[in-house]
Amino acid sequence: MVENMLKSSPGLYNFAIFFLFGVILLFIVLGFVTYSILAERKVMGYMQNRHGPNQVGGRFGLLQTVADVLKLLLKEDIIPKVSDKPLFIIAPVIAFAPSFMVLATIPFTDKFQFADLNVGLLYYVAVSGMTVFGVLLGGWASNNKYSLLGGARATAQMISYEIPLVMSVLGVILLSGSLNLNDIVHAQQHGWFILLQPIGFLIFLTASVAELSRTPFDLPESESELVAGYHVEYSGFRWAFFMLAEYVYLFAMTALVTILFFGGWLAPFSFLSFIPASVWFALKFCAVLFVYLWFRSTFPRMRADKLMEFAWKVLMPIALANIFLTALIKSLFF
Amino acid sequence: MTFTGEFIAFMALALVAIIGGVLLLNLNKVVHMVVALIFTFVSIAGIYILLSAEFVAAVQVLIYSGAITIIMLFGIMLTKPYDDSEAKTGKWRKILVFLGVVGFAIAVYLGIYNFDIKQQPSTLHEDNTMQIGKALYTQYIIPFEFVSVLLLAALIGAIILAKREDKEADKE
Repeated sequence: MVENMLKSSPGLYNFAIFFLFGVILLFIVLGFVTYSILAERKVMGYMQNRHGPNQVGGRFGLLQTVADVLKLLLKEDIIPKVSDKPLFIIAPVIAFAPSFMVLATIPFTDKFQFADLNVGLLYYVAVSGMTVFGVLLGGWASNNKYSLLGGARATAQMISYEIPLVMSVLGVILLSGSLNLNDIVHAQQHGWFILLQPIGFLIFLTASVAELSRTPFDLPESESELVAGYHVEYSGFRWAFFMLAEYVYLFAMTALVTILFFGGWLAPFSFLSFIPASVWFALKFCAVLFVYLWFRSTFPRMRADKLMEFAWKVLMPIALANIFLTALIKSLFF
Repeated sequence: MTFTGEFIAFMALALVAIIGGVLLLNLNKVVHMVVALIFTFVSIAGIYILLSAEFVAAVQVLIYSGAITIIMLFGIMLTKPYDDSEAKTGKWRKILVFLGVVGFAIAVYLGIYNFDIKQQPSTLHEDNTMQIGKALYTQYIIPFEFVSVLLLAALIGAIILAKREDKEADKE
């Protein structure tokens, strides 16, 4: 249905329908964020030999995050006196908007996608790179040493890790011959790219954890050094926006890994294709998401100087070698 | 003249781009200027999309988001944080500059008012990523390689400069 809509002539009617779909997607994503935070706390809890949230909303703490969000909304909105007021207000918006924009190009199933872009993958990387403005601006506008340090760290980390991230997907692009995410999924009909690109997958996973600034690489907000990094001065709803951006990126990145390396909505074997595409996508998505949660609760934080060395001296050469190897394999066997 | 969606989108993007440029020149704090610069570059990317140059648009955002954040970091590190001093310019200079701007605007307006661009049918908008790739690696391969060598030389130069400073510091 969406596909027909995309090809029909533009008008106010179409605009209204797309707006409605956008709002629905926003609510789906908000629901995801609510329960992924709960899942994260539960997984971390069981890995650390405790139960995690189990009071609010029954045995499994199903309403814990909802209660947390309500608390955040009721909190007093504090803007520090010496902060740069306009930038302080606009920074969470700049951080959040790109995270929702990238969802437009992600094909959840063969029928559910908002924009079938020819440069889909490039669009994802380019737009997600814009969040760093929000983080750095927020850190600077707070007029606080810790938050400025956090913002500077976030900038250095995101720009450095973007390079191995892009280079590791070049292998996938070489094999599928397209930047369009739909074409990349269709190219995996006879085998997922994780089988053809194991090195690329590992680099992508590492670099994506760094891009999401989650635990082994959570230096921008490392609590033990910088209090809370770039959002020290933020509270209430504005702080919630930064957190929301982080978890929407988790959603988008998990979906992207599913599409690039696990065949998106395609069934692993053709005799299993009677199960609907959305179920396959959801299953793979949950598996990848669990890996991210698992990483968070099992790795110690990296040291700041090691972090940069790791990106430039380890990940980048391996990514370059992977491109070379992929090109060789493609010209010999395909 | 009819108000098509393309016209409205172009006007909005062009307005944001120009306002960003003007603010870049007129704001006082470095970080505010850089924010104005972000708006300019992003809306120029939007104009590329209107011209169906999606690859160029994505690359524009990709490259400049990195470049602008680096500029912002340098701006934060190398300038005073809250310097409100204003540059002083004379009255006569302002008037002369204004006359120059008006003259330039009239010249450009006269130049392009009756300028007739014939529309040619082309296939440049189809698969333009592939077309750019093919053109770069066949027809323009030698200039492309020259540019890459130039960039490599700049990179090595930067490394050498950074290293040398380190050694002198060690000697001291």
